[in-house]
Parts: sequence; structure tokens; C-alpha cells
Amino acid sequence: MTTTNDSTDLEALFDSIASDYTPVAPAPIVSAKPPAPAAASVGDDSDDLQALFDSVAAESQAIKVETQAVQNGLGDTSAESWPQQETVFNRIGQMARSLHDTLGLLGYDKMLEKTVSALPDAKDRLAYIANLTEQAACRVLNATDVAVPLVDDIENGAKNLGARWDKVFANQMGADEFKQLATETRAFLNSELPQKTKATHAQLTEIMMAQDFQDLTGQVIKKVVSLAQDLESGLMSVLLEVVPETKRTEEVTSLMNGPVVSAEGRTDVVVNQEQVDDLLDSLGF
Amino acid sequence: MAVDPKMRFLVVDDFSTMRRIVRNLLKELGFTNVDEAEDGAIALQKLQNGGFEFVVTDWNMPNMDGLTLLQSIRATPALKHLPVLMITAEAKKENIIAAAQSGASGYIVKPFTSGTLSEKLNKIFEKMAQV
Repeated sequence: MTTTNDSTDLEALFDSIASDYTPVAPAPIVSAKPPAPAAASVGDDSDDLQALFDSVAAESQAIKVETQAVQNGLGDTSAESWPQQETVFNRIGQMARSLHDTLGLLGYDKMLEKTVSALPDAKDRLAYIANLTEQAACRVLNATDVAVPLVDDIENGAKNLGARWDKVFANQMGADEFKQLATETRAFLNSELPQKTKATHAQLTEIMMAQDFQDLTGQVIKKVVSLAQDLESGLMSVLLEVVPETKRTEEVTSLMNGPVVSAEGRTDVVVNQEQVDDLLDSLGF
Repeated sequence: MAVDPKMRFLVVDDFSTMRRIVRNLLKELGFTNVDEAEDGAIALQKLQNGGFEFVVTDWNMPNMDGLTLLQSIRATPALKHLPVLMITAEAKKENIIAAAQSGASGYIVKPFTSGTLSEKLNKIFEKMAQV
């Protein structure tokens, strides 16, 4: 058996299934075989796939030998008792062969293999994005939690002093009280106000810096999008080869689709709150 | 109109960030008595323990989604009067219709503004006062 080119081995496998396979209680023999050793360690590179193909091919040869042995023992009577199984197995063998040939012919086998091997990587990238955006959201919310009371304090302090200055202008304040007000106002303007605006400013900077995820996630998203496009076009081509015409137009309908990513050309979605309100109004809600 | 600022809200969303945002917006509007639940099942449990006067819920959540929560609230005699405002990214017309038919008090599509939340809350309060 060669280890450099799987297609010869697969040829042998498919040939053995499609034509040479003889119907002597095939299922028990197949299921009694231990799983292909390589199957347990299938990784994401082509060496593992190669090994898997090889082991399957080897297995099929073993089956062929066993099958012949059993057949010799039982004679021709068994073939007559399983005519339908023979048809089924032949048919499955032919279908598998045809799919294999089609994929190979169109170059999808290599492309799909490459794409599938990139999927775990894409999963990690998406997890990275989820992680960074969540961190950013928390940083911003934390910053607003700190800044809001500061701004509230400034507002309340200003209102308080303002109301007392109104009293001055209405001639309702004595000299001592006025002296007190002047001192407090000076303290407010010189220390409390600058200190609190400075602290607020620091939180605004924090909010600004929390947006740094955009650059990082943007790059990662671009990579995942390109992978998704490859995967989509590959799978789409395979589906067009395989799926009957009538099945193609069936749409999946669901009430849980998440955000509408692209509303262009769609009439079944709303794009803003006004449209929600209009729809509900038009229905009398 | 006078709305009790002590009114007790339950905010239901599977993302803590969104719960926090809604809680902050409610605080801005003067409502500080807010509890949170991370899915419909937990929300229903909290509601059944009583004490809540207003529900703000997301749609797409694990365990129990917002529509099922809404339908469960409307099917429970002790809870069916509760106003339920949906805040969701689901923007298909059939979603909005399904929510309205199931008895949603309001429907806000994400992303939304504090102005929208305030407007929808007031609209619901007005309707509650009329009944």
C-alpha cells in the first residue's frame, strides 16, 4: 500500500465496495471490525487524513479476504438469500464513488480539507472577539459608574451655590452669611470643581481607550469573514451538485435570528424603531 | 402623570452588559428598584415569588426565550396584568406581530436610545393609568 497517494487506495476501497463486495452477512463482519486505528487520532492536517484513508483501505482489503473466506465456506446459497442487500450496498458504493470522483474532479476535496482545518482557528478568533468586546463594554460601564456621581456632585454643588447667590441678588442675605457664601464659592471654583472635572476627564479618556478593541477585532473579523466566504462558496458548490432542484428554495423560518445584519432588499424586517411603531399602529396595537 | 418611582422592575437578558445598560437607563429615569434575571426561566421564578410591577425582557435567550416568558406571564392569573416591554435585536415583522399578539406591552428593537426607552415606558404608564 502506498502512503504518498491516497487515491489509489480509495480506488481500491470503492471498487471493492461497488463491485467486488459479495453479500454474505456483510453487516456483522463490518461492525465486528475494530475501529480504524487512525480514526481516534484524526487531527486537522492532511497527514492524519492520509493515515485514515490508508487504514480504511487496508480494512476493506481485510474485509474482502474475510468475505471470500466466508463465502467459500457457505457456498452460493447465501448470495441468493441477500439479493436486496446486494443492491443496496452496490448503490451506496456507487454513490460514494460518484461523490468522491466529483469532489476530486472539481478540486473540492483539497479545498474543503483546507477549510475544515481552519475552522478550529476561526472558533478561537471568534472567542477572542467576544472576549475583547465584553472587556470593552465592562470598562465603559465601569467608567460611567465612576463618572456619573462626579457629574451629579458638580451639578448639585453648582445648584446649591446658585440658589444662595440668587438670595444675595434678592437682598435676602446678611453680611455674615454672604461672607460664608463667598468663601464656599471660592473653594468650589478653585478646588472642588477642577478636581471633579479632572476625575471625569480621566473616565472619558478611559472610555476612549476602551475602544481600542475595534482595531484588534476588526483585523480578526476580516480573517474570519474571508474563511466563512471560502467555506460558503465551497459548500454551496457541493450543494448545487448534490441537492435536487426542488429542495433548493426551501427557507428556514425561525423567530430567533438575532440582529438583522443586512436589511438590503428585504421586506420582512424592520430597520428602525419608527418602523416597529408604524407596524404595531397599523395592526391596532 | 405620577408614576411610583419605587416601582419594581425585572430586567431579563442573557448578556450582563445589556442588563447593566437597561438598569442604568432606568436609574436615569428615576427607577432604582431594579432586579435582574439572565433568562426566561429564572425570570419566571422570580416573578412567581411576587413583588414585581414591570418586566423588561430580551427575546433570544437560553433555557426560556422572551416570547415564551411573555406567553407564560399572560397565561398565569397572578402575573397576567404585568406590563412586559420587549427590548430585542429580533427585527422581523413576524417577530413584532407575534410579540404583539402574545400581549407584549411594547417592542423596542436594538440598538435603541434612552429616549426610545423613556417614550415607550411613558406610553405604557399612560395605558396602565387608563385601565
